[in-house]
Amino acid sequence: MVIDLDKCSGCMACSVACQAENNISFRPDETNKLRSITWMEVFYLQNGKDYGEYQYTYLPRPCMHCDAPHHAPCTFVCPVNATTRNEENGIVEHIYPRCIGCRYCIVACPYHARDFNWWDPSWPKSMESMLNPEVSTRMRGVVEKCTFCHHRLLNARAKAYLEETDPDKATYLPACAEACPTKAISFGNLNDPESEVAALIKDPRAFRLLSKLHTEPKVYYLSKHDWVRKQADKGF
Amino acid sequence: MMFGRRAFLQFAAGAVGGTLLSPLPWKLADDSAIWSQNWSWRPSPERGPITKKATICTLCEGGCGIRARLVNGNRAVLLEGNPEHPINRGGICPLAASGLQFLYAPYRITQPIKQTQKRGEASGFKPIPWDEAMSELLDKLVNLRTGGTPHAVACITGQGQGSMRDLWQQFFDAYGSPNFFQMPSHSDSLKLAAFLTLGKEEPLAFALEKASYILSFGSDLIGGWGSPGRMLALWGDWNAAQSENKTPSAKIIQIESRCSMSAAKADRWIPIIPGSEAALALGIAHVMVKENLYDTSYVATNVFGFEDWTDSQGKARQGFKSFLLASENSLEEASRRTGLEPAKIVELAKDFATQPNAVAVWGKSRDLPEKVHHELAFLALNVLKGNLKSQGMISLAPSVPLGPMPQVLADEVAQQGLARKSLDQVKAQDIPLSRKSLYGFLKNLSEAPSYPIEVLMIHEANPAYSLPGNQVFQKAIQKVGWVVSFSSYMDETSLQADIILPNHTAFERYDDVIGVPGLPQAYYAVAAPILPPQWNTRHSGDVLLQMSKNMGGSVADALPWKSYDAFLQDRVKGLAASGRGAVAQTSARQLQETPEGASPKANYKDGADLWKKLASGQCWYDAPQNPLQLVQSPSGKIELAFQSLQSKELEAGKDEQCLPNFSSIALSGNEKEYPLTLVSYQALFLSHGYLPNPPFMTKTLWDFILRNDDSFVELHPETARSLGLDEGNRAVLKTPAGECIVRVHLFPGARLDVIYMPQGLGHKAYDQYIQSKGANPNELLEVQMDPVSGLGTAWAARAQLRRA
Amino acid sequence: MNEEKKNTSGKSRVGGAIFFAGFIVALVFGWVLSPNLIYSQRMQPMQFSHVAHQDSSCEDCHFFREDGTYSGIPRIEKCKECHEAPMGETEDERILVEEYIQKDREIPWRVYAWQPDNVYFSHAPHKAGGMECVACHRDVSSEEKLPPYQENRLTGYSKNTMKMDACEKCHADRGISNNCNTCHK
Repeated sequence: MVIDLDKCSGCMACSVACQAENNISFRPDETNKLRSITWMEVFYLQNGKDYGEYQYTYLPRPCMHCDAPHHAPCTFVCPVNATTRNEENGIVEHIYPRCIGCRYCIVACPYHARDFNWWDPSWPKSMESMLNPEVSTRMRGVVEKCTFCHHRLLNARAKAYLEETDPDKATYLPACAEACPTKAISFGNLNDPESEVAALIKDPRAFRLLSKLHTEPKVYYLSKHDWVRKQADKGF
Repeated sequence: MMFGRRAFLQFAAGAVGGTLLSPLPWKLADDSAIWSQNWSWRPSPERGPITKKATICTLCEGGCGIRARLVNGNRAVLLEGNPEHPINRGGICPLAASGLQFLYAPYRITQPIKQTQKRGEASGFKPIPWDEAMSELLDKLVNLRTGGTPHAVACITGQGQGSMRDLWQQFFDAYGSPNFFQMPSHSDSLKLAAFLTLGKEEPLAFALEKASYILSFGSDLIGGWGSPGRMLALWGDWNAAQSENKTPSAKIIQIESRCSMSAAKADRWIPIIPGSEAALALGIAHVMVKENLYDTSYVATNVFGFEDWTDSQGKARQGFKSFLLASENSLEEASRRTGLEPAKIVELAKDFATQPNAVAVWGKSRDLPEKVHHELAFLALNVLKGNLKSQGMISLAPSVPLGPMPQVLADEVAQQGLARKSLDQVKAQDIPLSRKSLYGFLKNLSEAPSYPIEVLMIHEANPAYSLPGNQVFQKAIQKVGWVVSFSSYMDETSLQADIILPNHTAFERYDDVIGVPGLPQAYYAVAAPILPPQWNTRHSGDVLLQMSKNMGGSVADALPWKSYDAFLQDRVKGLAASGRGAVAQTSARQLQETPEGASPKANYKDGADLWKKLASGQCWYDAPQNPLQLVQSPSGKIELAFQSLQSKELEAGKDEQCLPNFSSIALSGNEKEYPLTLVSYQALFLSHGYLPNPPFMTKTLWDFILRNDDSFVELHPETARSLGLDEGNRAVLKTPAGECIVRVHLFPGARLDVIYMPQGLGHKAYDQYIQSKGANPNELLEVQMDPVSGLGTAWAARAQLRRA
Repeated sequence: MNEEKKNTSGKSRVGGAIFFAGFIVALVFGWVLSPNLIYSQRMQPMQFSHVAHQDSSCEDCHFFREDGTYSGIPRIEKCKECHEAPMGETEDERILVEEYIQKDREIPWRVYAWQPDNVYFSHAPHKAGGMECVACHRDVSSEEKLPPYQENRLTGYSKNTMKMDACEKCHADRGISNNCNTCHK
């Protein structure tokens, strides 16, 4: 995934589309961000200057699906193998029924990409009709995070099987990339040199978050501003 | 033998041994694990085949194409952008992405209800059958006509553009009341500027797709200006990476006092004193004229009033040129008004003048009219640049040749009613360009109305919340005999109603979009329902048609359709009969790339075919028009001195009254008591109009915009320090209009001594996800009547802030 | 003393018998009775005979949709195609027509192979892998009556719901990925 921060208008459509697609529950008060479950969280970065020269940007942050050799930080610490990296497509997965809620992975993740279900997920009764059957609802006491809309990949593969095309070449878009009104989010196979994302990460503006940790995130960002790129290596 | 304790233990030990050797414990352990993984109280979404239905979003006027994902054809789970739609090209804004939360909202009104207690009592509403509710309204309407006072009926609609507005207008014309009002819109004042300059009262359109340089005077281009779908897709193009190899980028200069997202992301942010945007436009115009940077041949051939002129009475009048060069419009004056160094203004003027496709855009938001003289200043800057011409940057939004309404043959009662002045006009003799003004109406109604309003119908509008200075609505409604709401939701205005005839929501009904704000091409689209009505609601259009039919006579003749769908189909039939335009096909940018005069070839067979295509989510479009060919001003040219503007001041010899000019705002209140200025702002991630902020969007709000039930105001750190306030402190924000509790957020993008407050919070109605979260700036803002148009302009107030 | 000893050994023999009795009872309960007790038998909302529908092919009702998903049990529109009005005279067809088709209600079938929400299963790759339907589902080719649906009292799932170990084993045998996300959502 490549997110172009110069295109991002901070409208939050990605985060909203993610909530709708992935049955992320909400409570009447979601202002305590430490208790709020958001797969596509948005960070606020600013250049530290004063009025007139002040600049800021929003930085949408899905799960980075770290590609570090052997282990992403979260998969390394999981005592029950509830979170692992799928060696076929690189997606870092998290299985709710297996999760024991120890939250080691939350601590391990340097991107704060993981959230814990402190409460049973609930929706206003009438809004339960909006729940997406392609994603399971979670239970209290487990950790959850962005899946790159993995269910969409499974659907694309199923379709490829049926059409007798190569399922490994099946493409799809996660809900956030599909929703983005400025097309700031590009999604594709980084290993395919022909893909749009493979071209974009060669852009001189490209960077990754906390690259010094060698977690090898599969989410790249683009920004023309030095101050944005510099902050990418600071903590969040 | 006694079966003693020992025997029991022996038996139990055997049983334990036997159980352990049987599969039972393992099976139970396994089952309880499975049970624990799927708590039964967790909602389990029903599965089924997934289909998609394309339609048009009508949550705002932007005209975006969307697709709904349905499960089993009866449950909508997601709205996504339609990649084949030329306006938004697959993207979607956060409001539309949350759109289904309105369809499935718990605060929906599910059937007609009537207030049985005092007005405003939430628990007083009791259900009544549709027939009863309709006949109650019908009786009232018929009685007022029999009594010869049809003008005592009024309506406020929030639908500014669509056919529903036209249907209301038709009804009021036939019924006989002049008191039909719309919620305020920027196009109200924009149209007047076009009227004075070009002689045509049509909204202006901007060919931003081909712009190379955009001077944005306070327009939050990516924060909801114009059509958000179009603007955001364009923004993506402008910032496309070189590897994507798309259209060349446009340079964006954002002029405003607050560092909005548009300012933060623009190529340059020019911070100025709030409200001085028009002064800067005149300053730039001054430099262009003084340094001969304007399009001289264009101005010489196409413009009237640039040079000094003589009016019909032979009186010598000042032209725009000498006005700009006069001392009161000097560069130093512009610098003083805007707080910008003269050199910077000169630099902006030079850049603007030399760029080939430079355009100035303005307008703070879609729903705020501006001072007409300021609109004229921005437009004049574009005139100097020669932007209003064939293939130019600015044109008039073309009309859509829909099937005409049947002519209203008003009967005697209706004629009498229509002969009365509408309630907003009664005291408006001094206003030269007086147009329908909701503020004027509410103000006169709340004070001493010259005639009473017996029935007020409110349709898809929430003035009790979203109208700046909404106290006037609260006062006005006390004077109304009977209030009917057509809202789908229990909003602040519905709470004040005597009866509610709930409309379908946007996704359960047919509706249409006539034109996209700011788009030079003609545009028409039909929004088809994605699901049948979920509750016992009725389309307000159907209610209106039924009412007219039952009234009979000339009213029934003027509204002859049996349903709103039939009415829309009739209009589309008329559109097809015109033979103009075409249905946009899959090529995503075909519509925007259609140049002037190259009207696309009709690709529909007849009305039925066009309807079928439109109802499946496609849209109709036609080429832009050449503004020079449309000019109907008294001089036959583009006017910079407005001959159609006659006013007392003008007669008294104040020539600047008929020229684009700037007047700084004189806000009420004592400067000592209220040393700060409160400015409200809008953002795309916070819904602020008729629709409340849905829970999905509220969840994404920063914790420096809303924390628990407190909303924040933005203050420059230095201003905060001088007031003894720090990040997160609670404070009392007071303006002459009212006060509220807020928290402080330190924001270096805020100008010194200015308080910025977002629109969209502070609801008192709806449910626990929306109610009593934050404060509503509309209760604090000051509304000023524009002396030229009588429209209420509101964006600021004097304010004080002290620690709570 | 001797007597006492004898007594004790007699007691222990009796004790052994009691222990053994307990052992047997528990074994019988665990192996024979409990597997039935743990499931409640539920009937389908109406009867359906696969044999009676042999004039149509399996794919008429159990087909793949264009998006790659599988229709599984057909929806009521499918039934409507033939049974808009009753074709025969059976009681079940009357129920079908009067209770469901005419009222446009879906038949609340109990699905024998129902998987929980957190499981993703797609028929398409399994079909592409050449698996026969009967590898997982019962053979219905000569079935006249639907078998009762056995619901686990604890979990609420069908007895026929395939468990994860069966999925895993087959995947492992065939060298198919056993990554969690292959089957979980």
